[in-house]
Amino acid sequence: MAQTSVDRARRTAIIGRSLAGGAMRTWVQEAIAGYLFVTPAVLLLTIFLIIPILASVVLVFTEYSLLTPPRWIGLENLQRLLGDKRMFICYRNSLYITFGATALNNILGLLLAMGVNRKMPGILRYILRTALFFPVLTTTASLAVVWRFILTQDRGILNYLLQQIGLEPVPWLSSARWAIPSVILYDVWKSCGYLMVLYLAGLQGIPDVLYEAAKIDGANRWQLTRYITLPLITPTAFFCIVISLIGAFQIFDNAYVLTEGGPGDASRTIAMYIYEMAFKRYEMGYASAVALSLFVILVGLTLFQIWASRKWVHYE
Amino acid sequence: MAIVGAKGWTTRIRKFPARSASFYVGETIIWILLIAMAIIEVAPIMWMFSTSLRNPSESFELPPDFLPTSWRWDNYLAVIKSEKINFPLFFWNSLKIALIVMGAQLLTCSLAAFAFARLRFPGRDALFFLFLASMMVPSQVTTVPIFIIIRILHLMDTHWALILPSMTSAFGVFLLRQFFMTLPEELMDAAKIDGAGFFRIYWRIMLPLVGPGLSALGVFTFLWSWNNFYGPLLFLRSWDKLTFPLALVTLQGYMGMGNRAHVLAGIMMSIFPVLVFFLLAQRFVIRGIALTGLKA
Repeated sequence: MAQTSVDRARRTAIIGRSLAGGAMRTWVQEAIAGYLFVTPAVLLLTIFLIIPILASVVLVFTEYSLLTPPRWIGLENLQRLLGDKRMFICYRNSLYITFGATALNNILGLLLAMGVNRKMPGILRYILRTALFFPVLTTTASLAVVWRFILTQDRGILNYLLQQIGLEPVPWLSSARWAIPSVILYDVWKSCGYLMVLYLAGLQGIPDVLYEAAKIDGANRWQLTRYITLPLITPTAFFCIVISLIGAFQIFDNAYVLTEGGPGDASRTIAMYIYEMAFKRYEMGYASAVALSLFVILVGLTLFQIWASRKWVHYE
Repeated sequence: MAIVGAKGWTTRIRKFPARSASFYVGETIIWILLIAMAIIEVAPIMWMFSTSLRNPSESFELPPDFLPTSWRWDNYLAVIKSEKINFPLFFWNSLKIALIVMGAQLLTCSLAAFAFARLRFPGRDALFFLFLASMMVPSQVTTVPIFIIIRILHLMDTHWALILPSMTSAFGVFLLRQFFMTLPEELMDAAKIDGAGFFRIYWRIMLPLVGPGLSALGVFTFLWSWNNFYGPLLFLRSWDKLTFPLALVTLQGYMGMGNRAHVLAGIMMSIFPVLVFFLLAQRFVIRGIALTGLKA
């Protein structure tokens, strides 16, 4: 009890001090503390994020091969962008992968979430969730090595299974036609569990009361899904679609290990093209120009989705 | 409780007429989809595990095993003890980098997040907005200048090239700030009145209360670093500095044509720690993802 009275005395003293003109000092102290607290993060982010962003804008106007100092070449890199056929092929590939993977990942993710989010024994739910989610945590590059073994034309596992059920073997990785579907297949295998978890969180956020009320009104299961689940999952779906589009547009590891961009440029993504320009050919200026074009496209795509979301996303 | 009773009663009444033939058809389709997908997701990993235990000379044999038929654990030993490829070293490289990156992010992000959420200083909101905006920029834009900076700092082919740029993240600051914002303002005032310094308030009072945020950030930072392929690909050159994913992909080109079992044993060992961790902390990892929308 003595302790408390000492505390109380100290507290009163402090309050008294701050009332008697210490307020200014505490304000300054708080500001200094604030600056000290943010210093490590601000310093690191300035060096490794803010300066690089600004530098890449400057690099766009230069020719820089690391060996000689950067040379100012004005708009040449931007002009080169417009006539770069390979870049457009890579953009087309990335778009194909992005839309394929985003559509499949989101549809499967939502269906799986609706499947797991039902009454079942706890142990079964645990097994299902573990099985569906585990690939998400594995290393993209290493598992792509496994998928290479699965997809190879001769002695590949998938072709063996296809032949067992009487189908023709498919040249998954070696043909221009199947290279991108293979990359999409691998990405969906790797990521749909991740979207399942996000959709699951969204589903669990829908109040039970709504379902109960609708059931009392005699709604059947299809009506519950159509008029309650689907409208109320749209905010989650919007978030999921935005992040999966942005992620899929930047796919690198998958295609780099699985197909090495080939055959030819058939599955080279835009991230791989930037990598090639910057770190194989050391054209730092031009690589920055391509990277900035990617940034502009991503911002455009996201703004478009925010605009379009008004037409289909229901907010309470 | 009376309401729950009433609810149970109404559903029991309605249960029978609601379960028409279409109910069972729908239910069957959903279960087939669930089980088929679970099998598809697990099969490649089971195949990898089974093949990694085969006699290396039979690792190309068809039909494939999805359950182990032989138990050649010496494949794992062969990979660990291999003269040419120093596996324990790659493991240690990956682990060391991931642990340092995780620790550094937890510290720098929580310090900054606390200040952005709970301290008042001029320029705070402008600074925070700058970070928020910079999160939108894809990594492709920043890697070229980061590569140049790392060269200028003479850090090429060192682990610092991977650690330094990842020691903090705008996302981590943003995430933890959200957690600090949820704590009641009175807590801070009470501590101030008790005469606690700002660092003490941060360390002893606020930090223990944002545990879920810290653990989510910690888990995902660790996994991100453990699984990172692009960074090592850019910055590491010498064989003894490689991290696990890069070493495995290189290993596959190196001996993949001859010895599938050994390559797969190597990959199994790289996902094993993640598997164990996930089986133990599944609920918690999943909550972290749902909470943050963050991908490992």
